[in-house]
Amino acid sequence: MASTPATMAPAERQRRLELRELLNAKYQFIDRTWDAVFWITAIFIVAGAADITKLLFAGDWDFWTDWKDPQWWPVVTAFATIIIPSALQWIQWVAWRFPTGATYTCTCLFLATWIGRYFQWHIAETYPMNFVWPISTVPAAIILDWLLMRTRSFVVTSLFGGAIWAIMVWSFNYIPLAPFLQPVPFMHHIMTVSDVQGIAYIRSQTPEYLRHIERGALRSFLGETQYVSLLFGGTMAMIGYWVGQAIGRFLAVWPIGRYIKTL
Amino acid sequence: MRMRLAMVLSIAILISSYATRALAHGEAADEPFLKDLTVAYYDVHVTPTQVKVGDPVTITGSVKILETWPYTLDPPQTAYITPVVPGPCFALTERLINGESSPGSIFVDKGGIYQFKMVMLARNPGHWHVHPGIAIQGTGTLLGPGEWVTVDPSGQPFKLDVTLLNGKTVDLEHFGGAFVWWWSLAGFIIGLIWMLYWTVPKRTVTRLAVTMQLPVNDDAPDIGLITPRDHMWMDLLAGITVLMLIVGWVYMAAKYPVRLPQQTVRFAPDPISPGDGLIAVHPKGSTFDEKTDTLVINFQVKNNGASPVSLKQYIMAMTTFVDGDKQEMAAAGPSEYVGQLAVDPDGPIAPGASRDITLKMTNEVFLQERLIPLHDPQQLIAGLLRFQDAQGKENLVTLKSVLVPTEFQPQYLP
Ligand SMILES: [Cu+2]
Repeated sequence: MASTPATMAPAERQRRLELRELLNAKYQFIDRTWDAVFWITAIFIVAGAADITKLLFAGDWDFWTDWKDPQWWPVVTAFATIIIPSALQWIQWVAWRFPTGATYTCTCLFLATWIGRYFQWHIAETYPMNFVWPISTVPAAIILDWLLMRTRSFVVTSLFGGAIWAIMVWSFNYIPLAPFLQPVPFMHHIMTVSDVQGIAYIRSQTPEYLRHIERGALRSFLGETQYVSLLFGGTMAMIGYWVGQAIGRFLAVWPIGRYIKTL
Repeated sequence: MRMRLAMVLSIAILISSYATRALAHGEAADEPFLKDLTVAYYDVHVTPTQVKVGDPVTITGSVKILETWPYTLDPPQTAYITPVVPGPCFALTERLINGESSPGSIFVDKGGIYQFKMVMLARNPGHWHVHPGIAIQGTGTLLGPGEWVTVDPSGQPFKLDVTLLNGKTVDLEHFGGAFVWWWSLAGFIIGLIWMLYWTVPKRTVTRLAVTMQLPVNDDAPDIGLITPRDHMWMDLLAGITVLMLIVGWVYMAAKYPVRLPQQTVRFAPDPISPGDGLIAVHPKGSTFDEKTDTLVINFQVKNNGASPVSLKQYIMAMTTFVDGDKQEMAAAGPSEYVGQLAVDPDGPIAPGASRDITLKMTNEVFLQERLIPLHDPQQLIAGLLRFQDAQGKENLVTLKSVLVPTEFQPQYLP
């Protein structure tokens, strides 16, 4: 909404001046401590929600390097990782007009997954970190928040943001994945370094056939599976964005509003 | 009150007595039919059993997917033969199935025999129970017999060197890991600056009083919710993010110009013959006595071949029972899973002859590994009879029998 005070009715101008004062008002009881309490306690809840959603929809894809394939990884992770950032975008934008929901979710998730991978999977289970590293969605989140800030529209953010999300999440993490895609002769076959990791570091209960990696098929589109997958990943992320909006609008905030009304 | 306490206590003791039996070995958790009717392992060896970090340990043996595969499971199609160890305490470097190098999964059939050889390098010091296992799609990992392997520290950290196609040798323990971390961290730091920009100088919770009175798409620069200054800084951070991505991509494309999609290597191993098939068996029931750990199997055998044959072994799930001396027993597999077999009447079966035979085995392994259905909806067992003629020619014959325990134990829980 164009809010140029010059074209406004005097009453509206007055109201907005009052709101400006309200924004900068000093509150006796609600001080910055409450801000800190909110942001810090929410880290665990938001990281947990984002991690559970990712586990639910993406499972092992964002776990092992040998699962980060050209066909399914760009689709599944894009969808799974945009849901909670989208929900938080709605909450933080509507409540405080902060373009921070996605970045907040993804920085929380980043901390949580690295701690989990390092202590649980590297120290306790002794898998090398280079085999179980988590992807990072922070750069994609920055762009998603930037889009919302610039467009002030969830519809536009979902349309462009979904596609950008799929491309950013994939490309940002493809860069560190590249060394693991180098060809290496192993067991009399040619395979990628990531395949070798998957074979050498024994996963007794995660047999190789469980991988849903690209296997080549008639529909692999001139062999360029990657780009088709990215396109599809973008569409899936748009859908994921609205799943997140639904969570943010109907599941997360609405019950709180109901609760506050009963007080 | 005292009554209730006694009840709770006795239930607790009862549960824990079940639990200790199950804890002895993780594999005991599988139901008996899942072990007996599915596959049978034989000639399994894990050598050596005392190594230093970095030394090779070899698992050899055979597994047959039985014709008695339970109808309650999906038919076996895709399988992955793997060492079963607690986590990556070993690193697998070679796997041969029926003589062919097989890094990935294989296609299998009911009745198929898969001879495996897996070479692993000891990675973590400790005392590890090493099993072969066959994971079958739709069913899960079915275990073979286990052997304890002691891995001592070697004074040097474990290395897993592989030579890339371009000739460069890299250590998979660390390769590429540092870049993943610093690259991801750099992106995280931009995100952190973004968050600090909004949350530290600005107030959060009290903004609700203002936003509640405005439409959702009003960012109110005049009121001061999101100012042009905010836009400028955020444009800068978003720009840095995009720039980082472009620079990273160019660097990646230049440094790793050759990149391959992940590979799938699947094939059906060459078949191995179970023998000439000229020995016919007919089950005549089996019993198990829980008090003495004794399994008795009755069957009729007819030798349709041209030379006399003797019954050498009875193989069931991960166990082998041997009609032979200590040396023959040691050759049959890990000692905890090998037992003595009494064949009555013993001796070669002449060509054309029929004979009623009773097998008797007494061993703790039946209950330890939960191999006998004592309280299950499928009171069946199956195993392999291993016959041999004077020339050493072998015949593996599958025998499925109904099992009737000598008595059923009383139970408190359902
Ligand atoms: Cu074991």
